[in-house]
Amino acid sequence: MKREHEAEALSVVTGLAAGWLAFAVIVWLHGESPREMAGLLVGGTWGTAYGAGQVIFKATPILFCGIAVHIGLRAGLFNIGAEGQMTIASLVIAAVGASLGASTPALLAVPLMLGCAAIAGALWAAVPALLRAKLGAHEVISTIMTNRIADALVGVALGLGLAEKGTVRSADIAKGARLPRLEAFLPSLRGSAANTSVFVALVVLLLATVLWPRSRAGREQWLVGLNPVACAAEKISVPRRLAEALIVSGAVAGLASAATVMGYKGYYEGGLGAGAGFTGLAVALLGRGRTSGLILAALLFGTLDQGGLALNAHIPRESMQVVQAVVIVAVALGDARVRAFMARMPRPAAAAKAQP
Amino acid sequence: MDVLATRAVTRRYGATLAVDAVSTCFESGRLHAVIGENGAGKSTLLKLACGLVAPDAGSVAIDGQPLSPHTPRAAIARGIGMVQQHFALVEAMTVLENVMLGAEPLRGGLLDEAEARRRLAEVTRELGVTLDPAARVRELGIGDRQRLEIARVVYKGARVVVLDEPTAVLVPREADALYEMLARLVAAGRTVIVVTHKLDEVVAHAQTVRVMRHGQLVLSRDVDHDDAERELRALAAAVMGEDAPAQPAAPPRACGTVVLDLDDVRLGRALRGLTLKVHAGEIVGVAGVEGNGQRELTRLIAGLEHADSGRVDVAAASVVHEDRHQEGLVLDAPVADNLVLGEHAALSRFGVLDASALRATAHARLTLGAVEPGDPSLLARGLSGGNQQKVVVARALARTGDRAKLLVAAHPTRGVDIGAARLIHERIRAAASRGVGVLVISSDLHELRALSDRIAVMVRGRIAQQVDPGATNERLGELMLGEEGAA
Ligand SMILES: Nc1ncnc2c1ncn2[C@@H]1O[C@H](COP(=O)(O)OP(=O)(O)OP(=O)(O)O)[C@@H](O)[C@H]1O
Ligand SMILES: [Mg+2]
Repeated sequence: MKREHEAEALSVVTGLAAGWLAFAVIVWLHGESPREMAGLLVGGTWGTAYGAGQVIFKATPILFCGIAVHIGLRAGLFNIGAEGQMTIASLVIAAVGASLGASTPALLAVPLMLGCAAIAGALWAAVPALLRAKLGAHEVISTIMTNRIADALVGVALGLGLAEKGTVRSADIAKGARLPRLEAFLPSLRGSAANTSVFVALVVLLLATVLWPRSRAGREQWLVGLNPVACAAEKISVPRRLAEALIVSGAVAGLASAATVMGYKGYYEGGLGAGAGFTGLAVALLGRGRTSGLILAALLFGTLDQGGLALNAHIPRESMQVVQAVVIVAVALGDARVRAFMARMPRPAAAAKAQP
Repeated sequence: MDVLATRAVTRRYGATLAVDAVSTCFESGRLHAVIGENGAGKSTLLKLACGLVAPDAGSVAIDGQPLSPHTPRAAIARGIGMVQQHFALVEAMTVLENVMLGAEPLRGGLLDEAEARRRLAEVTRELGVTLDPAARVRELGIGDRQRLEIARVVYKGARVVVLDEPTAVLVPREADALYEMLARLVAAGRTVIVVTHKLDEVVAHAQTVRVMRHGQLVLSRDVDHDDAERELRALAAAVMGEDAPAQPAAPPRACGTVVLDLDDVRLGRALRGLTLKVHAGEIVGVAGVEGNGQRELTRLIAGLEHADSGRVDVAAASVVHEDRHQEGLVLDAPVADNLVLGEHAALSRFGVLDASALRATAHARLTLGAVEPGDPSLLARGLSGGNQQKVVVARALARTGDRAKLLVAAHPTRGVDIGAARLIHERIRAAASRGVGVLVISSDLHELRALSDRIAVMVRGRIAQQVDPGATNERLGELMLGEEGAA
C-alpha cells in the first residue's frame, strides 16, 4: 500500500519536473532567463487578484472535464469524448438559453440550463456507451469519432440558424440564465471573467469524489473497472455498468458548458472552451481521483494557460501549450492505468512476429 | 555449508507482523520444506530471502555475504531464484521468449536466440523434462507452465530454487513428477526450498522442515523418515498448535430434487457431450486431470459461457472459480466489497450503500470463514494466498441456502492450511445437509473422497464414469487418464 502511494507520488513529481524542464528549455531557447520568466508567470497569475481570478476562470471548465474523465477512469474507461460532449451541450444550452423569455427568473432558468447541459452531454456520451455495451466497441475510438462529429455539427448548427444573421455566434441567452461573475461580489476581481460556475464545479466535484463512491452504481462501476471478470462471475452486469459510467461522465462534461456559455460569454461561438476536454484528461490522471488532487491539477493547467498570456510579450503563447503538452504526456506515461491500457494494444512488431 | 541465511529478518504490513525476527540457514544441496497455517508468513519469508520484499529489520545473507542491494535482481545474480505462488509468464510469448526475458544473451547488441536455445536445452536436460521452445505459453497446461517457470529460474543461474506452493495446482501424479525433478536439481548440487500445505509431501520428499506460526519460526529440524505416520501427526500438531479441531464424521444425506442437469453439453473444444446431474443435498465430486474442461464447466454454470448445444438446467448457483485472481477477487478492492460482490444492491437504500450493513455482513462472513486478519477494510491483495481463497469460499458459502440451491466449488481448499481446510469441508457438508446440491471439482483425491457421495471422472470434456468414493487411487488414476471407460 505504502509503496503504491510512493509510486503514485513519484509519477506526479516526474510529470511536474518534466513540465518545469520543458519550460526552462523553451524559455532558454527564446533567449530569456527561466527564473525571470517563472517570476513573471507567477506574478501575472497569482501575483494579483485579477490574475488569480483569471486562473480560476480558466480552471473551471478544465475542472468540470477533469471530473468527467475521472468518473470514466474509475470504471476503467478512457472518455476521450469530454470535448465533444461539452461542445454539444454548449450548442444545446445556447439554443435553450436564447429561447427563454427575457424575464425568466434565474431560479428557474439556471437549473433548467444546467439540467439541459447535463442531459445533452449524457445523450452525446450515450452513443459510444451503447456501442460499447452492445457491440463492445472500444470507447477510445468511438469517443474520438463522436468528437469529430460534434465539431462538424457546430458548423451545421450555426449555419442552420443558431447563429445570428451575419455572425458566427448564437444569440444572447436570457439574462436570468447567466451565471454572475465573481467581481459582482468581490470588487478586487474587477475585469476577471471568473464566475459562479466555479461553485457549481466544486459541488459536482464533491458529489463525484465523496458521494459517488458511496452509491451502489458508483461502487459497482469502480469494482468493474478493477476486475470485470470477477464482477461478471458474480452477476454484476458489466456492459451496463460501463455504459452508465460513460453516460454520467458525459453529463459532467456537458456541465462544463455552464462555465463558458452561462458564465463567460452568454452565447456560443465556434471554438468556445475548445481544448478543455483534452486538458481534462490530464487533470484526471494528475489528480488521482482525490478531491484536492483534481482541484490542484485544474489550477495548475489554469495557471499555465493564463501564464502564457502573461509571458506573451517575451515568449509566444503557443510555447506554454508545449509545456502543457509535456506535462500531459509525462503524467500519462507515468500512470499505471495508461501503461496497462497501452500494453493491451496490439503492437505492430509483435503482431507481425506472431505470424507463423 | 549454508548457502542462504536470514538474520532476524522482520517485515510488517500495517499492524500485521508478517515475519517476526526469523533467523534460519538453509544448507546447500538439500530439499527444505516450509509449512504453516495460512498467513503464517511463509510466502513473505521466502520473498524476503529472494529480495522481492525488503525487510524492516534484519538481513539476508548469501554464502555468508549480505544481500545488497535488497532486490530480486541482486538475488538472482547471486544465485537465488523464486517461482511465485501465482505464475508470472507472458501468455502471448513462446517458451524460449519467456525464458529469455530479462536474461537475454546478446551478440553484437542483438538477441542471440541460438545461444539461448542451447542453454535452455542444457537446463531441461538437467531437469529431465521436455519443453518445446517454440510453443506459446497460452497453449501450455498447468504442469508445463510450472516446468517452464522452474527452467526459467535455473536458466538465470539459480543455485537455490524457491517454490511457493508448487503442488497446490497439481494432481498427485504431476506432483510426484515435480518432486522427481526437484530431486534431480538437488542431485546436481542445487538447493531447493518448497512451501506446501501437504504434509505427506514433506515426509516423502523433504530433508528438513521448518514450521511457521504467526510470523515466527516455531520448529526447524530434519524430517524423520523412519516412521511416516508418526511424523505426519507430529507435523500436523506443529502446524496447528494446540487448537486442532477434530474431524467430524460425514452425516448421511438424502437426495432430493435435481439442481443441476446437464445433458450432452458441448462447448467449443472443452466440453464434448458432458452429461451430469446433481441432486439437492448431495455432494458430487469431479475428478480429472486439470485442463479436461473443468474450468469451462464452472464458467458455464456461472453463466460466463454459453453452451453450443445440449441442455443446461441450473438452479441459482453459487460458484467458487478455479482461478481466484481472475474470476474470484477484485484484488485492489477491500475484502468487504469482495465478500459481498454482486450483493451491493441488497445492501443499499435508494441507491446509496448502507456502509454499516455492508461492514456487518462482511464481518460476519469473515468470522465464519476464519479469514485472517479479520479486518474487512484491508485490500484483498494484502491477504496471503490461503486467506484470499477463504474469502472466495466464504462468499460462495454465505449465498447457499435461500439464494443458491447449488454450490459449485472448484478446488475449494487450494492453498488453504489443514485446519482451515477442515473447516471448509465441514461447512460444505453442512450446506449439503441443509439441502444444497454441491459439485466439488478438485485435483486432490483425498478431498474428493472425504466429501463426495459419488465421484464423476472427467476426461476430455466428458464424464467418463461415475464411481463410489471408496474407489482406490489407482482405479481413479486410470480413469482420469482415460485408460478405461473413455469409449
Ligand atoms: N502485500 C501485503 N500487504 C498487506 N499485508 C500483507 C501483504 N502480504 C502479506 N501480508 C500479510 O502478512 C501475513 C503473512 O502473509 P504470507 O503471504 O507470508 O502468508 P503465508 O504463510 O504464505 O500464507 P498462505 O499459506 O495463505 O499462502 C498475512 O497476515 C498477510 O495478510
Ligand atoms: Mg503464501
